[in-house]
Amino acid sequence: MSLFLAQVLKVVVIFAGLVSAAGVSTLAERKVSAWIQLRLGPNRVGPFGVLQPLADGIKFFFKEEFIPQGATRWLFLLAPMLAAIPAMMTVAVIPFTGVIATVDGTPIYGSIADIDIGAIYVMAISGLGVYGIILGGWASNSKYSLLGGLRASAQMISYELSMILVILSIVAMSGTMNLREITDQQNANSLLGFLPAWNVFYQPLGFVLFVICTFAETNRHPFDFAECESELVGGFHTEYSSMKFALFFIGEYCAMIVMSCLTTTLFLGGAAVPFWAEAPWFVGLAAFVVKAAFFMFLFIWVRWSLPRFRYDQLMALGWKVFLPLALANVFVTGLVLSL
Amino acid sequence: MVIVKRKELTLAERLYLPEILRGLSITLRKMFVKRATRQYPEEPLVTTEVTRGQPRLAVNTDGTVRCVSCGMCEAACPAYAITIDGHETERPIEREPERFEIDMLRCILCGFCEEACPKEAIWMSDELELADYTRGALVYDLEKLKRPVSALQPRIDYIKKINDRWRTSSSTS
Ligand code: SF4
Ligand code: SF4
Repeated sequence: MSLFLAQVLKVVVIFAGLVSAAGVSTLAERKVSAWIQLRLGPNRVGPFGVLQPLADGIKFFFKEEFIPQGATRWLFLLAPMLAAIPAMMTVAVIPFTGVIATVDGTPIYGSIADIDIGAIYVMAISGLGVYGIILGGWASNSKYSLLGGLRASAQMISYELSMILVILSIVAMSGTMNLREITDQQNANSLLGFLPAWNVFYQPLGFVLFVICTFAETNRHPFDFAECESELVGGFHTEYSSMKFALFFIGEYCAMIVMSCLTTTLFLGGAAVPFWAEAPWFVGLAAFVVKAAFFMFLFIWVRWSLPRFRYDQLMALGWKVFLPLALANVFVTGLVLSL
Repeated sequence: MVIVKRKELTLAERLYLPEILRGLSITLRKMFVKRATRQYPEEPLVTTEVTRGQPRLAVNTDGTVRCVSCGMCEAACPAYAITIDGHETERPIEREPERFEIDMLRCILCGFCEEACPKEAIWMSDELELADYTRGALVYDLEKLKRPVSALQPRIDYIKKINDRWRTSSSTS
C-alpha cells in the first residue's frame, strides 16, 4: 500500500515539476534573451516578472480558438496533444536521484519507472513527438505549416539516428540500458583519481554529438526548421491559436527539459555529486537539477547567439558529418571495449 | 568589374564549433553589460530646453496672457491645429483671446507657432505626455494651455540665444 502511495506521489511530484519547469523555462527564455540583448525582460508581473508564465497561461486561455477552413478537424485537434504527451511521457524513466527510501525491503528509486530498457524507452517515445508536428503541419491546410512539418520530420529522423548511435556507445560501455544503473556506474568509481567517472570524459566526441543532436531533436536554434519564422511564418504551428498553440509550446519546452535531463543522466553522472558517492538523495536531486539547468541554459543561450542553418546544410551536416562520426564513435568504443 | 576573392576558411573555421564557442562567449559577456533599457513610467523622460514638447501659452506674473490673438500662429500652423477668436480689452495690449484652442491630436509639434508669434506668447514646453480617454479631451482650451512664464523660461532664454546668434551673423555680412 505504501509502495503504491509512494509511486503515486512520485508521479504527481515529477509531472508537476516538469510542467512548472516548462513554465519557468519560458520565463528564462525571455529573461536570458533580454539579458543578451541588453534589455531587462518581463518585469511587470510579480517581483522581477516571476509570475509572467502564469499571466501568459491565463492569456492563452482567453485567446480565440481558431480552426482554419479546410483543416482536417480532428487531426488538427489531435496534433498538439501528440506533440506534448510524448515529451511529458519520456520523463518517467529519468532517474532524478538515487534511492529515496526503502519500504519493506524494496528501494524507492528517484524515477517514476525503473525499467531495464530505459534508454530504448526514451528514444522510442521521444521519436513519437514528430507525429504531432507533422500532423499539425499537414492538418492545417496551409503551405507554411506543411513545409514546416515536413522539414521538421526529415530533420528529426536524420538526427535521431546519430543520437541513437551515441546512446549505443554509452550502453555498450555500461553494459546496461537501465538509466539508473548507468548513473550508478558513473558515480561508483573515479577516473585517474581526480576526475569523476562521468561518461563525458570517456566519450567526449559522443557528448558533443549528443548535445548537438538534442538541439536538432527538439527543433531548437540553430536547427529550428519546424518554425523557421523568417521563411515559414511560424512553421507547423502557423495556424494554431490559444491553448492548442500553448500545448505545442509546453511540449517543446518539456522536450527540451527531458533532453537536458537525459544528457545529464547519460554524460554527467545524473544525480552523482563528485567525490561524494554516499550523498543523501536530496543533495543528489539538487546536483541533478543544477546540471540539467545548465543544459537548459545552453539551449536558450545558443538560440540567442546563432543564426539558423540553411536547410541543405542541416541535412548535409546530419548525414555526411554526424552519422559517420557517430558510427566511428561506436566502432572505436567497441574496439576499446573488446581489447 | 571588381572580383572579390573569398578567403579560404581555416580548419578551425570549417569545424565551426570553435566559432560557435566564440559567438557564445560574446553573448555571455553581453549579459553582464549595463542595461540600455529605461523604465519609462518610473524613470521620467529627460527633457532639456532643446526639447520641443507641446505648445503652451505664456502667462505673465500678473495673471494675464501675453497673446494678442493676432492669428499669426493660426496661419503658420501646417496642421491647422490652432483655432483663435479674440476680442478687445482695456489692457494696453488692446486685444486678447476669447477662445484659444489647440487640437493636440492634430498638432505635429513642429514649433512654427512659436516661431511665428510676434508677442513671445506661445512656446514649446517640455511637456511630452499626451493621453486621455476621448478625442474631445485632447482639444486643449485656453485654461489648459496657460503656463506661468517661469515654467517656460529656460526655453525662452534658449530660443532668444539662438535668434541672437543668427542676428549677429547676418548683420556682419
Ligand atoms: S501668434 Fe502669438 S500673439 Fe498671435 S495669436 Fe498666436 S499666440 Fe497669440
Ligand atoms: S507646433 Fe506646429 S502643429 Fe503644433 S500648434 Fe504649433 S504650428 Fe501647429
